[in-house]
Amino acid sequence: MSNTNDPSNSSLIVDRRQLMAGAAALGLSASFAEPTFAADTPKKGGTLRLGMKGGSASDSLDPSTYADSIPIAYSLAIWNGLVEIDAKGNATGELLESWEAKPGAAEWIFNVRKGVHFTSGKEFDADDAIYSINYHRGETKSPAKGLLSAITEIKKLDSHKFQITLSGGNADLPFILADYHLIGLANGTKDFTKTDGTGHYTLEAWEPGVRILLKAKKGDYWKAGRGNFDTVEIRYIDDTAARTQALITGQVDAVNRLDPKTANLVAKNPAVSVVRTKGNGNRYAFVALRDTAPFDNYDVIQGLKYGIDRQKIVDNVFSGFATVGNDHLVAPTNKYFDASLPQRAYDPDKAAFHFKKAGMTGPFDLEVSPGAFDEAVDCAQLFQESLKKAGASLNVKRVSGDGYWSNVWLKSPFCAVYWGGRPTADDTLSTTFLSTAEWNDTHWKRPEFDKLVIAARAELDDAKRKHMYSDAQKMISDDGGMICFAVADYLDGYSKKLRGGEPHARYDLNDERIAEKGWFA
Amino acid sequence: MLKLIATRALLGLVTMFAVSVLIFICTQILPGDVASAVLGQGATAETLAVFRKELGLDQPAYYRFFDWMFKALRGDLGISLTNQHVIIDELLPRFQNTLFLAGYAAVIAIPLSVGLGILAAIREGRPIDRISNILTLMTISVPEFFIGYLLIMVFSVQLGWFPSLSTVFPEMGFFERLYNTTLPALTLTMLVAAHMLRMTRTSVLSIMSSPYIEMAFLKGMTRSRVVAHHALPNAAAPIITVVALNLAYLVVGVVVVEAVFTYPGIGQLMVDAVAKRDVPVIQACGLVFSGVFVGLNTSADILAILVNPRLRHRR
Repeated sequence: MSNTNDPSNSSLIVDRRQLMAGAAALGLSASFAEPTFAADTPKKGGTLRLGMKGGSASDSLDPSTYADSIPIAYSLAIWNGLVEIDAKGNATGELLESWEAKPGAAEWIFNVRKGVHFTSGKEFDADDAIYSINYHRGETKSPAKGLLSAITEIKKLDSHKFQITLSGGNADLPFILADYHLIGLANGTKDFTKTDGTGHYTLEAWEPGVRILLKAKKGDYWKAGRGNFDTVEIRYIDDTAARTQALITGQVDAVNRLDPKTANLVAKNPAVSVVRTKGNGNRYAFVALRDTAPFDNYDVIQGLKYGIDRQKIVDNVFSGFATVGNDHLVAPTNKYFDASLPQRAYDPDKAAFHFKKAGMTGPFDLEVSPGAFDEAVDCAQLFQESLKKAGASLNVKRVSGDGYWSNVWLKSPFCAVYWGGRPTADDTLSTTFLSTAEWNDTHWKRPEFDKLVIAARAELDDAKRKHMYSDAQKMISDDGGMICFAVADYLDGYSKKLRGGEPHARYDLNDERIAEKGWFA
Repeated sequence: MLKLIATRALLGLVTMFAVSVLIFICTQILPGDVASAVLGQGATAETLAVFRKELGLDQPAYYRFFDWMFKALRGDLGISLTNQHVIIDELLPRFQNTLFLAGYAAVIAIPLSVGLGILAAIREGRPIDRISNILTLMTISVPEFFIGYLLIMVFSVQLGWFPSLSTVFPEMGFFERLYNTTLPALTLTMLVAAHMLRMTRTSVLSIMSSPYIEMAFLKGMTRSRVVAHHALPNAAAPIITVVALNLAYLVVGVVVVEAVFTYPGIGQLMVDAVAKRDVPVIQACGLVFSGVFVGLNTSADILAILVNPRLRHRR
């Protein structure tokens, strides 16, 4: 473990570098940073070779199809996001430079950054920004459609200013616009075989499933200190062992998704560093439908929640590269995370008490599959073991991974699921736990919870808002049907020559922006 | 004999048609539907409906089959559902890569295993026979990914002679390609060598016990001459069949090796397509695979007829 970046130490590095990058991005004078951090000054040049998992031969450049790491990475090299999330998880300006909410958070004014140009030479303006948002609204298959459903009107105010009106207040609108589907398109773009973006790189070779080759544009990037590489090559390396070997043998400079089981070994290599982002990776959970017997019984749910040995799963299945979950999905890195909520621990006696009260000890059927997540079956087996001590039995049913998301999830009364991190507390809670949510995979429907979350959404007073979200987390953690037992770490591997690979509050490989943020020492 | 060959060729065509029907039916009964697989966990009922209509999944199955088959006959394999690319354009370069790797492995494996097989037959029971048998049996007994990782560990991590990533790109020259794909080619060689070697050895040896071979020995010929001139021509048919079978395996059975070495072959394309329920791509890959398989086996049959002295000189 000694070579693995300890998150508590590396957060210091993040702070100052991010400060610098942030200042530069905002067009402030970077001079105050230079003398102090001369060693950290980005250098130009070189070819960045990334070995990544999270894409396939069917990847497309159309932003309404993005669903995994590689498309996010290449889209942010060719285009720009509308809003960027910084290392601490705050929304900062990107193509939209600044914004302002009117009281009630239902009407927002956005200022489009001036002087940013497409490859074609045209300046990015309000029309482009409005088109980029509208591309994911209306008749579309874009996954971002649901996120944007609260938008009722987008009105252009002048060439670099527009107004968004929402059906209800939402203080998190900038975070919603930071969704990775929302990249700055040129007004009217429908054909994505020709790319015209504001990012620093242009597409040189497009071979989805094999590699994506990107070449830097001539001249300076509009973000100072970023876009340092001459060429960026994203290699699709699906096999984890192959990816790890490619990093160790120096055939690539950075990889994502290292195997927790071998991460410690990789970190021993002197030419390689492993960067660990704690508590923001995938959330692994078993979900029970709260309107289906026997899971409609509060005590059965309590019994199951106390009867799972979370720490054992984290230690054995994830080799320690995960944190225990507390049955709700809000990330510890989120500012509305309620740290005062006690972590539920394994307590067979309490579990036995609740099962007895419910008059049921199973066997409960749990459907799992590697198609839900690779470790699902192992986790379920440990769950089965730990429940035995509480006098209950679990019947682990292994089902096919093919079609898992359409045939099992949302349909089976008790099954495995993973949830990716979402940028805001509101987004996290509304997508999964609102009565009206399409993906309410626990069928947990509580009108008082709905009211609370919708009210918190429009609350501009931060203290009040924090209190409301804290209540919401308590409700889910106590009464909800989700047993979220582990939150994975992101494990990136970097060559020691590469700089800029800090942990990020959102995604791995520095929010999939290593091509933009990194440089060679 | 011509009639015999024509029958074989015709049978090959019939098999192809039957396979195409099977491919179509199988892709129809895959669990889950393409719309929800493509849009993933992020799909909502509304976006699903829009996408399904866009894909033409609302048409009846028999209509889609004949439409697909006639287009495929004209070389039009359709458009990928997931990224709207023309499938043939995506398939061809990958198919060429697969053929390149298969060819490379075959060039090493066939002379090696047939040669060793004949040698083993000549030297039956001698050390060369035993050693080649044991070695090839060992390599076929371990799974291919294990051989692959073993080769990577030794030749790229420890010795640094070959890259562990065998990805090839269009701009690469022939020798660079050869260099990059050496490890996967060696892995494949180890996989197919045992089968061919043992088949060659056995079929040569089984001929060796027939009366005319005994006659040749009685005439005073050396063992190697008897094997090469009298036994081998009659043993050729089963050898050709097993070589064809292994050639076909080199083309269609290399998905795991492709994954281990990150080689952009057709197998990886098909795996991706299955995961995403990209039916036209699955069908196209299936057609190509079955075409190779049926084609190679039919040519093996025809070749076996051509080289068989008894069939060549009919009474």
